[in-house]
Amino acid sequence: MNPAHLDYDTLADLAEGLLEDDQAASVSAHLDTCAECRERSADLADVSRILAEAPVPSLPPDLAERIDTAIAAESLETATVVSLEQRRGRRHWRILSAAAATVVVLGGGAVAGKVALDGSDDAGHRHSANTPAMDGTRSTVTRSGPGTAAGAAPSGEVPTSEGLRSAGYAVSHSGTDYRTGTLGRQVDRLLGKGAELKVQGAPPDGRLAGCVSAVTRGKAPGLVDEARFEGRQATVIAVQSGRPGTWDVWVVGPDCTAQNPHVLKQEQAAS
Amino acid sequence: MASLSMRRVDEVPDKELLARHAQGDPHAFAELVHRHRDRMWAVAIRTLGDPEEAADALQDACLSAFRAAGRFRGDAAVTTWLHRIVVNACLDRIRRKSVRPATPMGDDATFDAVAPKMPDPTDAHGVSLDVRTALEQLPFEQRAALVLVDMMGYSVDDAAQVMEVPPGTIKSRCARGRARLAPLLGHHRNRRDPKNVGGVEGGGMPK
Repeated sequence: MNPAHLDYDTLADLAEGLLEDDQAASVSAHLDTCAECRERSADLADVSRILAEAPVPSLPPDLAERIDTAIAAESLETATVVSLEQRRGRRHWRILSAAAATVVVLGGGAVAGKVALDGSDDAGHRHSANTPAMDGTRSTVTRSGPGTAAGAAPSGEVPTSEGLRSAGYAVSHSGTDYRTGTLGRQVDRLLGKGAELKVQGAPPDGRLAGCVSAVTRGKAPGLVDEARFEGRQATVIAVQSGRPGTWDVWVVGPDCTAQNPHVLKQEQAAS
Repeated sequence: MASLSMRRVDEVPDKELLARHAQGDPHAFAELVHRHRDRMWAVAIRTLGDPEEAADALQDACLSAFRAAGRFRGDAAVTTWLHRIVVNACLDRIRRKSVRPATPMGDDATFDAVAPKMPDPTDAHGVSLDVRTALEQLPFEQRAALVLVDMMGYSVDDAAQVMEVPPGTIKSRCARGRARLAPLLGHHRNRRDPKNVGGVEGGGMPK
């Protein structure tokens, strides 16, 4: 018996074991006697082989970077929600005490205002005098309050929940993996996206406050990001330099202290 | 890629990374993506064909996974879960675009109109372009199944988990897809092995 030739669908089903037993038997019998259908069957095997051998498309580097940035932004967004919720409980007395404090808004808008508020109720510091000169068109990830305050937190001090107010800046955890070649751009992108990224609220602990202060020589950082550098844990610190739109950037190891900053890299980034 | 060379032997398992992320570790998710993004990209670009669409789909998928990490059930491999999210992101892209003209969705009439009856043997396209244009002729489900099984080397069972369908459905989609691709990739095959006959058994490659 040699009826009409088999079509690809039937042969493909046979190969996947999808045919009923009796149908499979008759198809196999046909194949035994029909070279043309055996060739068709081989065509199907070739389809799988050709697909398997197709070159693997490689991930475009700019897409990798774009996704890193999107994830970093998402991290900050998430952290913001958490930290704002955490702060909500403390809001009331803070607003009351703010009446006796100077409220400083650092150029950015609503978000910056919130942080300035959070950082402003420590009446012992002269906030306005130490406000870093921010480029008014941009808002930063971490708004800085009193520039000299960081120095006021001695290194080695026990981490304190008051750290944010005494240090005047918050520590970001953007999740960015900074790279040598793109460090400046990555910092600039985070700082430049400030409006979108908003603020992330953990205050520095004593070690980090001492470290930052030593590295920046007491200047208020625009960004302190506990992230990664070349795949390893590191902290990236950026301070606005003399010229507007340029940043001095330091990468320090996770063990950075005031005594031993362990600077891995230092460079200047321009926007 | 640099991230690969940074990998160490004492690597944290995927599930642990995902758990850390769910608990608020800010680096865990980026690390997870660095590990798997190359294959996630391969799935996206092969399933969608268009690099821009695939890039958007991959980004969508990464952010979806970031947000959904807390709902990861842990009964499948993290990679399976990630690839499911990628495949779904690709499908979303296709639906949102309401189908590019070159991508008929399971419409046999359209397919027949588009399918070349006599492939031009002098056609100078490279292998990958051949494969890509051929894949574009398939409905999404068949294409995704073949991408996972034949191209990415997933077992039928793993592909079934990714696409959340029974293994038999994956087999059937693969069979339909291969049957459609056979005439489209014919010229390529014949160029390589002009005389490909013999006891070769069946089309699929049951794993």
